[in-house]
Amino acid sequence: MENGNTSQSEGKDPSGFLGEITGNPVIVKLNSGVVYKGELQSVDGYMNIALEKTEEYVNGVKRRSYGDAFVRGNNVMYISADS
Amino acid sequence: MPEEESAPVAEPLDLVRLLLDEIVCVKLRGDRELKGRLHAYDGHCNMVLGDVEETIYVVEDEGDEEEVKTVSRKSEMLFVRGDSVVLIAPQARSS
Amino acid sequence: MASQLLPLELIDKCVGSRIWVIMKGDKEFAGTLVGFDDYVNMVLEDVTEFDYSGDHTKLKKILLNGNNICMLIPGGEGPVALPSSSSP
Repeated sequence: MENGNTSQSEGKDPSGFLGEITGNPVIVKLNSGVVYKGELQSVDGYMNIALEKTEEYVNGVKRRSYGDAFVRGNNVMYISADS
Repeated sequence: MPEEESAPVAEPLDLVRLLLDEIVCVKLRGDRELKGRLHAYDGHCNMVLGDVEETIYVVEDEGDEEEVKTVSRKSEMLFVRGDSVVLIAPQARSS
Repeated sequence: MASQLLPLELIDKCVGSRIWVIMKGDKEFAGTLVGFDDYVNMVLEDVTEFDYSGDHTKLKKILLNGNNICMLIPGGEGPVALPSSSSP
Protein backbone atom coordinates (compact mmCIF):
# COMPACT_ATOMS: atom_id res chain seq x y z
CA MET A 1 0.00 0.00 0.00
CA GLU A 2 1.12 3.58 0.20
CA ASN A 3 3.31 3.11 3.23
CA GLY A 4 6.36 1.68 1.55
CA ASN A 5 7.58 0.03 4.73
CA THR A 6 11.32 -0.31 4.79
CA SER A 7 11.43 -2.90 7.56
CA GLN A 8 10.36 -5.65 5.21
CA SER A 9 12.12 -6.85 2.09
CA GLU A 10 10.73 -6.37 -1.43
CA GLY A 11 8.08 -8.76 -2.65
CA LYS A 12 7.08 -9.80 0.82
CA ASP A 13 4.85 -7.08 2.24
CA PRO A 14 1.59 -6.00 0.56
CA SER A 15 3.11 -3.39 -1.77
CA GLY A 16 5.85 -5.79 -2.79
CA PHE A 17 3.29 -8.48 -3.57
CA LEU A 18 1.25 -6.04 -5.64
CA GLY A 19 4.34 -5.10 -7.63
CA GLU A 20 4.95 -8.78 -8.20
CA ILE A 21 1.48 -9.54 -9.58
CA THR A 22 0.75 -6.30 -11.49
CA GLY A 23 0.22 -7.19 -15.15
CA ASN A 24 -0.58 -10.80 -14.31
CA PRO A 25 -3.88 -12.70 -14.14
CA VAL A 26 -5.48 -12.31 -10.73
CA ILE A 27 -8.60 -13.31 -8.85
CA VAL A 28 -10.36 -10.58 -6.89
CA LYS A 29 -12.95 -11.70 -4.38
CA LEU A 30 -15.42 -9.22 -2.96
CA ASN A 31 -17.09 -9.34 0.43
CA SER A 32 -20.36 -10.17 -1.35
CA GLY A 33 -18.77 -13.37 -2.68
CA VAL A 34 -18.65 -12.14 -6.28
CA VAL A 35 -15.36 -12.99 -7.99
CA TYR A 36 -13.59 -11.07 -10.75
CA LYS A 37 -10.84 -12.66 -12.80
CA GLY A 38 -8.67 -10.52 -15.03
CA GLU A 39 -5.30 -8.95 -15.65
CA LEU A 40 -4.28 -6.59 -12.87
CA GLN A 41 -3.57 -3.13 -14.22
CA SER A 42 -3.12 -1.28 -10.95
CA VAL A 43 -4.06 -0.97 -7.30
CA ASP A 44 -4.01 2.10 -5.03
CA GLY A 45 -3.87 2.67 -1.29
CA TYR A 46 -7.63 2.15 -0.89
CA MET A 47 -7.32 -1.20 -2.69
CA ASN A 48 -9.24 0.27 -5.59
CA ILE A 49 -8.38 -2.06 -8.47
CA ALA A 50 -8.20 -1.67 -12.24
CA LEU A 51 -8.61 -4.90 -14.18
CA GLU A 52 -8.34 -5.77 -17.86
CA LYS A 53 -10.15 -8.62 -19.69
CA THR A 54 -12.40 -9.04 -16.68
CA GLU A 55 -14.77 -11.93 -16.10
CA GLU A 56 -17.44 -11.82 -13.41
CA TYR A 57 -18.41 -14.99 -11.49
CA VAL A 58 -21.43 -15.23 -9.22
CA ASN A 59 -21.64 -18.47 -7.20
CA GLY A 60 -18.88 -19.86 -9.40
CA VAL A 61 -20.91 -19.26 -12.56
CA LYS A 62 -19.61 -16.84 -15.18
CA ARG A 63 -22.05 -13.98 -15.54
CA ARG A 64 -20.42 -11.32 -17.67
CA SER A 65 -17.25 -9.97 -19.11
CA TYR A 66 -15.91 -6.43 -19.13
CA GLY A 67 -13.02 -5.09 -21.19
CA ASP A 68 -11.83 -2.91 -18.36
CA ALA A 69 -13.20 -2.71 -14.88
CA PHE A 70 -12.66 -0.48 -11.87
CA VAL A 71 -13.45 -2.12 -8.53
CA ARG A 72 -13.90 0.13 -5.50
CA GLY A 73 -11.54 -0.98 -2.76
CA ASN A 74 -13.96 -1.12 0.16
CA ASN A 75 -15.68 -4.12 -1.45
CA VAL A 76 -12.47 -6.14 -1.84
CA MET A 77 -11.84 -9.13 0.43
CA TYR A 78 -8.70 -10.39 -1.26
CA ILE A 79 -6.55 -10.29 -4.36
CA SER A 80 -4.98 -13.58 -5.36
CA ALA A 81 -2.50 -14.53 -8.05
CA ASP A 82 -4.47 -16.64 -10.56
CA SER A 83 -2.73 -19.98 -10.96
CA MET B 1 4.06 1.03 -6.38
CA PRO B 2 6.40 0.24 -9.29
CA GLU B 3 5.92 2.49 -12.29
CA GLU B 4 4.62 0.95 -15.46
CA GLU B 5 6.38 2.44 -18.46
CA SER B 6 4.04 5.40 -19.16
CA ALA B 7 0.97 3.19 -18.80
CA PRO B 8 -2.31 5.05 -19.29
CA VAL B 9 -3.60 3.48 -16.10
CA ALA B 10 -1.00 4.29 -13.44
CA GLU B 11 -3.64 4.11 -10.74
CA PRO B 12 -7.12 2.61 -10.78
CA LEU B 13 -9.02 5.93 -10.92
CA ASP B 14 -7.20 6.76 -14.17
CA LEU B 15 -9.38 4.08 -15.71
CA VAL B 16 -12.45 6.05 -14.63
CA ARG B 17 -10.94 9.24 -16.03
CA LEU B 18 -10.69 7.53 -19.42
CA LEU B 19 -14.43 6.84 -19.23
CA LEU B 20 -15.46 10.51 -18.90
CA ASP B 21 -18.21 11.38 -21.42
CA GLU B 22 -18.56 7.69 -22.27
CA ILE B 23 -21.45 5.37 -21.51
CA VAL B 24 -20.55 3.45 -18.39
CA CYS B 25 -22.00 0.54 -16.47
CA VAL B 26 -21.94 1.01 -12.70
CA LYS B 27 -22.67 -1.84 -10.32
CA LEU B 28 -23.97 -0.74 -6.95
CA ARG B 29 -24.52 -2.46 -3.63
CA GLY B 30 -27.93 -4.07 -3.26
CA ASP B 31 -28.10 -5.62 -6.76
CA ARG B 32 -28.52 -2.38 -8.61
CA GLU B 33 -26.98 -1.27 -11.86
CA LEU B 34 -26.79 2.01 -13.67
CA LYS B 35 -26.04 2.62 -17.31
CA GLY B 36 -25.45 6.16 -18.43
CA ARG B 37 -23.04 8.83 -19.58
CA LEU B 38 -20.34 9.70 -17.07
CA HIS B 39 -20.25 13.47 -16.67
CA ALA B 40 -18.14 13.75 -13.53
CA TYR B 41 -16.60 11.75 -10.70
CA ASP B 42 -14.31 12.27 -7.72
CA GLY B 43 -11.93 10.25 -5.59
CA HIS B 44 -14.77 8.79 -3.53
CA CYS B 45 -16.39 7.54 -6.74
CA ASN B 46 -19.21 10.03 -6.29
CA MET B 47 -20.50 10.41 -9.82
CA VAL B 48 -22.85 12.41 -11.98
CA LEU B 49 -24.46 10.37 -14.74
CA GLY B 50 -26.71 11.56 -17.55
CA ASP B 51 -29.43 9.68 -19.50
CA VAL B 52 -29.38 6.93 -16.93
CA GLU B 53 -31.18 3.64 -16.87
CA GLU B 54 -31.30 2.08 -13.43
CA THR B 55 -31.93 -1.65 -13.14
CA ILE B 56 -32.80 -3.31 -9.85
CA TYR B 57 -32.62 -7.10 -9.57
CA VAL B 58 -35.21 -8.54 -7.23
CA VAL B 59 -35.21 -12.22 -6.32
CA GLU B 60 -38.74 -13.43 -5.74
CA ASP B 61 -39.12 -16.61 -3.75
CA GLU B 62 -42.33 -18.29 -4.81
CA GLY B 63 -42.42 -21.73 -3.27
CA ASP B 64 -39.56 -23.69 -4.80
CA GLU B 65 -39.06 -21.32 -7.67
CA GLU B 66 -36.61 -18.48 -7.34
CA GLU B 67 -37.32 -15.88 -9.92
CA VAL B 68 -35.12 -12.91 -10.62
CA LYS B 69 -37.18 -9.93 -11.68
CA THR B 70 -35.82 -6.65 -12.88
CA VAL B 71 -37.24 -3.24 -12.27
CA SER B 72 -36.04 -0.41 -14.48
CA ARG B 73 -36.40 3.32 -14.45
CA LYS B 74 -34.85 6.19 -16.31
CA SER B 75 -33.61 9.56 -15.19
CA GLU B 76 -32.21 12.48 -17.06
CA MET B 77 -29.43 13.06 -14.62
CA LEU B 78 -28.46 11.72 -11.23
CA PHE B 79 -25.80 11.84 -8.55
CA VAL B 80 -24.37 8.61 -7.18
CA ARG B 81 -22.80 8.58 -3.76
CA GLY B 82 -19.46 6.80 -3.99
CA ASP B 83 -19.84 4.51 -1.01
CA SER B 84 -22.47 2.40 -2.77
CA VAL B 85 -20.29 1.81 -5.84
CA VAL B 86 -18.92 -1.68 -6.41
CA LEU B 87 -17.68 -1.59 -10.00
CA ILE B 88 -17.34 0.84 -12.89
CA ALA B 89 -16.82 -0.41 -16.44
CA PRO B 90 -17.31 0.72 -20.02
CA GLN B 91 -20.68 -0.42 -21.31
CA ALA B 92 -20.91 -4.19 -20.82
CA ARG B 93 -20.53 -6.32 -23.91
CA SER B 94 -22.44 -9.41 -22.89
CA SER B 95 -24.79 -10.46 -20.15
CA MET C 1 8.07 -3.80 34.81
CA ALA C 2 7.73 -6.36 32.09
CA SER C 3 8.06 -4.90 28.60
CA GLN C 4 4.77 -5.37 26.82
CA LEU C 5 4.42 -6.86 23.38
CA LEU C 6 2.51 -4.59 21.06
CA PRO C 7 -0.17 -6.26 18.91
CA LEU C 8 1.67 -5.54 15.66
CA GLU C 9 4.89 -6.89 17.17
CA LEU C 10 3.10 -10.13 17.86
CA ILE C 11 2.02 -10.34 14.23
CA ASP C 12 5.55 -9.51 13.14
CA LYS C 13 6.74 -12.55 15.08
CA CYS C 14 4.35 -14.66 12.99
CA VAL C 15 5.96 -13.75 9.66
CA GLY C 16 7.09 -17.00 8.07
CA SER C 17 4.78 -19.19 10.13
CA ARG C 18 1.24 -20.47 9.76
CA ILE C 19 -1.54 -18.18 10.90
CA TRP C 20 -5.30 -18.49 11.20
CA VAL C 21 -7.34 -15.44 10.27
CA ILE C 22 -10.96 -15.08 11.33
CA MET C 23 -12.92 -12.45 9.46
CA LYS C 24 -15.79 -10.35 10.75
CA GLY C 25 -18.26 -12.35 8.64
CA ASP C 26 -18.56 -16.11 8.27
CA LYS C 27 -15.17 -16.56 6.73
CA GLU C 28 -11.76 -17.80 7.82
CA PHE C 29 -8.35 -18.18 6.21
CA ALA C 30 -5.33 -20.25 7.16
CA GLY C 31 -1.95 -19.71 5.53
CA THR C 32 1.70 -18.82 5.89
CA LEU C 33 2.14 -15.15 6.74
CA VAL C 34 4.48 -13.58 4.20
CA GLY C 35 4.06 -9.94 5.23
CA PHE C 36 1.67 -7.25 6.35
CA ASP C 37 1.36 -3.48 6.59
CA ASP C 38 0.16 -0.96 9.18
CA TYR C 39 -3.49 -1.61 8.26
CA VAL C 40 -2.89 -5.34 8.80
CA ASN C 41 -3.49 -6.01 5.13
CA MET C 42 -1.75 -9.38 4.91
CA VAL C 43 0.08 -11.36 2.26
CA LEU C 44 -0.57 -15.06 2.81
CA GLU C 45 0.84 -18.09 1.02
CA ASP C 46 -0.51 -21.65 0.62
CA VAL C 47 -3.88 -20.46 1.80
CA THR C 48 -7.05 -22.33 2.59
CA GLU C 49 -10.23 -20.26 2.51
CA PHE C 50 -13.05 -21.60 4.70
CA ASP C 51 -16.63 -20.73 3.85
CA TYR C 52 -19.40 -20.71 6.41
CA SER C 53 -20.85 -23.69 4.54
CA GLY C 54 -17.78 -25.78 5.32
CA ASP C 55 -16.40 -25.51 1.79
CA HIS C 56 -12.74 -24.78 1.47
CA THR C 57 -10.72 -23.39 -1.40
CA LYS C 58 -6.95 -23.52 -1.84
CA LEU C 59 -5.13 -20.40 -2.96
CA LYS C 60 -1.41 -20.06 -3.68
CA LYS C 61 -0.82 -16.46 -2.62
CA ILE C 62 -3.21 -13.68 -1.68
CA LEU C 63 -3.34 -10.13 -0.42
CA LEU C 64 -6.05 -10.10 2.22
CA ASN C 65 -7.78 -6.79 2.94
CA GLY C 66 -7.24 -5.93 6.60
CA ASN C 67 -10.55 -4.11 6.80
CA ASN C 68 -12.64 -7.16 7.60
CA ILE C 69 -10.23 -9.06 9.80
CA CYS C 70 -11.55 -9.84 13.26
CA MET C 71 -8.99 -12.10 14.92
CA LEU C 72 -5.57 -13.62 14.25
CA ILE C 73 -4.41 -16.90 15.75
CA PRO C 74 -0.68 -17.65 15.43
CA GLY C 75 0.07 -21.24 14.46
CA GLY C 76 -3.58 -21.98 13.69
CA GLU C 77 -4.50 -24.27 10.82
CA GLY C 78 -8.12 -23.18 10.56
CA PRO C 79 -11.32 -24.76 11.78
CA VAL C 80 -10.31 -28.23 10.51
CA ALA C 81 -7.65 -28.78 13.16
CA LEU C 82 -9.43 -27.89 16.35
CA PRO C 83 -7.61 -29.91 19.03
CA SER C 84 -9.64 -31.52 21.82
CA SER C 85 -12.15 -28.77 22.37
CA SER C 86 -14.38 -31.34 24.07
CA SER C 87 -12.46 -32.25 27.20
CA PRO C 88 -14.16 -34.63 29.68
